[in-house]
Amino acid sequence: MSSTEQTGRRVLFIEDDDHMRSVLAVSLRQEGFHVIEAGSGEEGLRKLAEHGADMVLVDLRLPGMDGFAVTRAIRRDTDVPIAMVTASSDTYDVVAGLEAGADDYVVKPVVAKELCARIRAMLRRVSGPSANAAVQRFGTVEIHREAGVVRRDGEEVPLTVTQFRVLCELAATPGWVISRAQLLERVWGYDFFGDDRLVDFHISGLRAKIERDASNPELIVTVRGLGYKLVPPT
Amino acid sequence: MSTARRPRRFGLHARVIVAFAVGAALVSAVLAVSTFYFVRRALVDQQVQSVLRQTYSDARLVKLELGAPTAHIGDAVASVAPANDALAFIHSGGTWYSSSASVSGTTIPATFAKAVRGGSAAEQRVTLDGTPTLVVGVPIPSLGIQYFEEHPLGELASTLQVLATVLTTVAIATTLGGVLVGWAVSRRLVRPLNEVVVAATDIAGGTLDRRLPADPDLQPLVESFNHMVGALQERIERDARFAADVTHELRSPITTIGASIELLDSQAGSLPPEASLAVRTLRFEVDRFSRMVQGLLEIAGMDAGAAAEHFTELPLVALVQATAAGRKHPVPVGVEPGTEEAVIRGDKLRLHQVLVNLLDNADTYGGGVVGIEVEREGPNAAVSVDDAGPGVPPEERDRIFERFYRGAASGRRGGTTGTGLGLALVAEHVRLHGGTVRVGDRPGGGARITVVLPVVSQLPAVRQ
Repeated sequence: MSSTEQTGRRVLFIEDDDHMRSVLAVSLRQEGFHVIEAGSGEEGLRKLAEHGADMVLVDLRLPGMDGFAVTRAIRRDTDVPIAMVTASSDTYDVVAGLEAGADDYVVKPVVAKELCARIRAMLRRVSGPSANAAVQRFGTVEIHREAGVVRRDGEEVPLTVTQFRVLCELAATPGWVISRAQLLERVWGYDFFGDDRLVDFHISGLRAKIERDASNPELIVTVRGLGYKLVPPT
Repeated sequence: MSTARRPRRFGLHARVIVAFAVGAALVSAVLAVSTFYFVRRALVDQQVQSVLRQTYSDARLVKLELGAPTAHIGDAVASVAPANDALAFIHSGGTWYSSSASVSGTTIPATFAKAVRGGSAAEQRVTLDGTPTLVVGVPIPSLGIQYFEEHPLGELASTLQVLATVLTTVAIATTLGGVLVGWAVSRRLVRPLNEVVVAATDIAGGTLDRRLPADPDLQPLVESFNHMVGALQERIERDARFAADVTHELRSPITTIGASIELLDSQAGSLPPEASLAVRTLRFEVDRFSRMVQGLLEIAGMDAGAAAEHFTELPLVALVQATAAGRKHPVPVGVEPGTEEAVIRGDKLRLHQVLVNLLDNADTYGGGVVGIEVEREGPNAAVSVDDAGPGVPPEERDRIFERFYRGAASGRRGGTTGTGLGLALVAEHVRLHGGTVRVGDRPGGGARITVVLPVVSQLPAVRQ
């Protein structure tokens, strides 16, 4: 992946620690990103509404409106990728952040290079073999890959960018099992040691939107011990 | 507190047994002695009464017989012939007449004979030829003679002998019974204590929420034990929370410092050489500090007990290979046939950390990684990281898993990149996964650190 492709992409960085925010912002700018800085959740939401952004980086621990509330507020209006900055990968924070609608997370202490790699992975365009037909049908669900649109019973389903990418990865090889590790690599850009919870959360979010009954999925089925597969149309 | 008490020489078990034995011995001895005493007194009284009765009646007989004018004292005494080996004597005017031809009258004690001659009947127990004998004397003043009988008490003595033997035997048996009861009781007594031991062992092993179940008989012990453990748990958790809070708070400044130094470093070309050296040093140390904080936080987070929540089934060899692939230098991975499909249960990230720490340790202190071996070890899988260093001397093998321990050979700080936490984290993580870690020698020199993890199943045929 080349950074030129992402030059000028707008990253909204919401972080109350001024020193940390400004020095990381310098690093990100050196990498060619257009960084919009915000010192609080409220300021971040205002700037997002004013300028828009291609992705959002939000610290979970913010004074006033915290990162979870910011994430939920952003998620209500847009499908922009959101990465949360958390102090620990272990605790409640990650789960709660994913539930709020975050797509990924980075753990403090944040290293600038890693952060750039994360942001690039999130800004990557939907990949997958383009040999597939522009429109794929799975029962009543249609995937318009080029347009970035998914319809169910003709109605457009509002998927987040990450959910759409997960669906496209599964749809690239219908009927084939794709492991969590493969999804982590293809969608998030992680190696073997990515966090499986990212996959499981986004699969369940996806199911809630496209399955008739999310607790009894017919399209995206779990293959125990192996991963997930998208059931091909019969 | 330093109230070190001298240890008791005998354990509770032994003391309970001894107490029961001594108790049983005392009770049975008192019973035996008093039984013997009362029985003997009753038997002796009975015997004396019957001897007296017989002697008086014999004396009356003699008196009647000697009332006849032709009677002769010798015939009279011979005609009495008292039963049960008793002998009869008559003393008349300084001469002794005996019922037995072989015995003369001299066996009657002289003082006793004199007392009877004084005019009153008497009885006395004496020992004649080693046989306890009851001597009874009756004066017959109308004839001027005294009538005596000697009754050997040998039968009574042997009866008492048998009684004494029986009572002694019973006393000994009772004492032995006391030992048995004491043994059984102390076992029952110690059983709840065993529960305490098990609980204490669990707690020492890190299961801090372990408590003793309520037991009405052990109420004070259970209460104070549980209270103590509660206080201990609270204190440990408070300490851990504090450590976690501190390290947590350090993360933001470390991020800022790290990012700043990275910025400086990216401009290193335009800095004067001294400043450039300073930046490099700073970068190196901040990196180490950052990893140390990371390690401390991991250790602090470990006691939270939430680890098992993230456990999933993991293909061991894939995990090892993925870790090896992430190294700067290629690391050869040897897999023993039959272990390729081993599935373990654990936290992917923690196990990754274990392997990374072992590889870092081999690089930092062990002269470089030689390779990783995955082998079968009974129901478990063993992952060994081999290094090219001088090996670990046996006396250091346990200690290298302590926090901030650095081997004597690598005591100098300058130039090392280690945090001193790597192997401690390995040990903690492995323990959380129900595994073990040990240090040995690599065949051909160098150290081999082996992590043994339980294998839960075999991988199904994987379609990738």
